[in-house]
Amino acid sequence: MKFRGKEVGEIEAMESREEVRELAEALSLYRSAMTHLAERSSAHPRPAVQRSASPFRLRLLVGPAVGAALAAGILLPVYGHLHSHHAAVLQAENTTTPDPASARASVDDTVLMNQIDSQLSETVPDALEPLADLSAQTAATQSSVSEKKQ
Amino acid sequence: MEEIAGNDLVIEKREQAVLELADFDEVVRVYRPRILRFLLASMADSDAAETITQECFLKAWVARHQFRGDSSLSTWLTRIAVNLMRDHLRSRSLRFWQKTRGAALDVVDISDWLPDGRSTPESLAVAQRQVAEVWKAVQKLSAHQRTVFALRFVEEMELDEIAAALDMNLSTVKSHLYRALALIRERMGGKR
Repeated sequence: MKFRGKEVGEIEAMESREEVRELAEALSLYRSAMTHLAERSSAHPRPAVQRSASPFRLRLLVGPAVGAALAAGILLPVYGHLHSHHAAVLQAENTTTPDPASARASVDDTVLMNQIDSQLSETVPDALEPLADLSAQTAATQSSVSEKKQ
Repeated sequence: MEEIAGNDLVIEKREQAVLELADFDEVVRVYRPRILRFLLASMADSDAAETITQECFLKAWVARHQFRGDSSLSTWLTRIAVNLMRDHLRSRSLRFWQKTRGAALDVVDISDWLPDGRSTPESLAVAQRQVAEVWKAVQKLSAHQRTVFALRFVEEMELDEIAAALDMNLSTVKSHLYRALALIRERMGGKR
């Protein structure tokens, strides 16, 4: 019985050795096949395939884009506010301290306007002055008659 | 005295590795087939393997001045290839709608590339069946297990070299390798 048990053990060991040998042979053949495949690929290399963007590359692209968008979102309103403030300041400066050319122009305008005003203030043109005197006399007469009636 | 001799040997190896990198054409000629073989075995996609091999040597060329010879040139290049492969697999997992790979290798591709020298057609058929079984079993391993398996049994690297290339503990490498072999044995019909 003991002898049989030893026999079974030896058979199992032999089977195991056989299995390991087969596995080792299979692995060796696998290595040979891979070597041949790699040599064939090296001898006839295919054109490289463009790889799609990896997460790392995407991060490289997306990171600056998001940063730029955020910066634009923050900086543009600030810039707009500063720009409008600057424009308002400039406008105020323009109103308070006009430049000589615009001052001269405004003086000329004033002279012209005064001249026009003086001409318009004349109630009657020169050519119609005799008639104006006549109408004045008529008015004076009418007023004296009405006084007498009263 | 022995310690000094050991230090000298390390320095000599480093200088040798750095000198080896100086002739980059030769580096590409020697190591390109090995890197490509490792990537083919790990990824089972010939287009991706070739692209990553090219990127690996491009990256090595750009970073060649940073190489100090702390590891062998082979380990350094393998580490670059592993990092690029991880990056590629991560991006591919994001594109979950892409069901098929660009140029996926299959069993026929692999088993047809056995070296000639079989005495009979029957022995060739047996060999092809063995290779096909290993290939199918390897494809079902996890990414870590497949990488460790490829480095050990295709590239025949030592365990400490694999640990250095993958930036892993030696015990983790052993664990992945043990599980990979157990699964392959099981799927090839052996005992676990």
